Amino acid sequence: MSHEEAKFTADNWPNHPETASMEGKNKLVGFWVFLGGEVALFASLFATYLALKDAVPSEDHLLAKDLFHLPLAFVMTMLLLTSSLTSVYALYHMRNFNAKGLFLWIGITILLGLGFLGLEIYEFVEYVHQGHTFRSSAFGSAFYFLVGTHGFHVLIGLVWLTLLIFRNRGRGLSIYNAHKFNTAALYWHFIDVVWVFIFTVVYLMGALG
Amino acid sequence: MSQQINHDAQALREYRKRKSTKEMRMQVTNFAIMIFVTFVAFALVAAELPKEFVIPVILGLAVLQVVLQFYYFMHMKAEKHGISKLFMITGVFFGLSFVVTFIYIVWLGDPLFVKTK
Repeated sequence: MSHEEAKFTADNWPNHPETASMEGKNKLVGFWVFLGGEVALFASLFATYLALKDAVPSEDHLLAKDLFHLPLAFVMTMLLLTSSLTSVYALYHMRNFNAKGLFLWIGITILLGLGFLGLEIYEFVEYVHQGHTFRSSAFGSAFYFLVGTHGFHVLIGLVWLTLLIFRNRGRGLSIYNAHKFNTAALYWHFIDVVWVFIFTVVYLMGALG
Repeated sequence: MSQQINHDAQALREYRKRKSTKEMRMQVTNFAIMIFVTFVAFALVAAELPKEFVIPVILGLAVLQVVLQFYYFMHMKAEKHGISKLFMITGVFFGLSFVVTFIYIVWLGDPLFVKTK
């Protein structure tokens, strides 16, 4: 019987089940390598945005300070930040060999993420109605590409977490799936890291003019 | 003999529970600090202070929040994260150079002598 198939109880469950197998160890390092690349990707989008901010072809186009509403950005920030904490709770239950708690808190994380994504779609629709579209100006292209790429990452994260729940709900916790939850949670935290810079550079600095 | 084993298992269970509760308390404290930092950043902008003062401060708060996120939520403070740190710092190095270069070329300097020609 291999290590991965062994039956675990709360007593012999390892302290760090996510790195208890070689696959788990490799996955953790590999995922950090991927996140390093993601940093460079988002940084290039931020650089583009900063270079093209408020670059509009004529005076009847809206600028950043006319477009952004701070209360909406604040609510979105709180939703995403809280979802980061709920995914920490999920991993806390995973380490305590509590599969029910793990799935419950991942479910809450998904709901908060859906709330964030819903608000972002509402925001984009609102901007399009005000004439600020992907093609209306260089500012519009840079804005939607940066914020939209982040929104796409949120969508990927939500699909990922949902699939994890559906795939593993009947299996219970094991060394085989512990690192899967850990990797998804890391990705979710990284989405929050990027959002911290988006709300600072795009929304707060945009409102300042 | 089996009593002794049961006792040890019990002690181990309690020790691990205490340890993970302590860890979780630290995570919640970290979350509270991040919420507070976010709130301060939004309040500074809403207060309409001079932007020469506000922009550097909110950028500093963003960096602080990201460091907290990496070190506590993403467990980078844990041991054996050397390779992760190497790749992350490389990513940040390239990222910063992109941003600094773009801002310099477009807004600050004139390295291609477009304006002075």
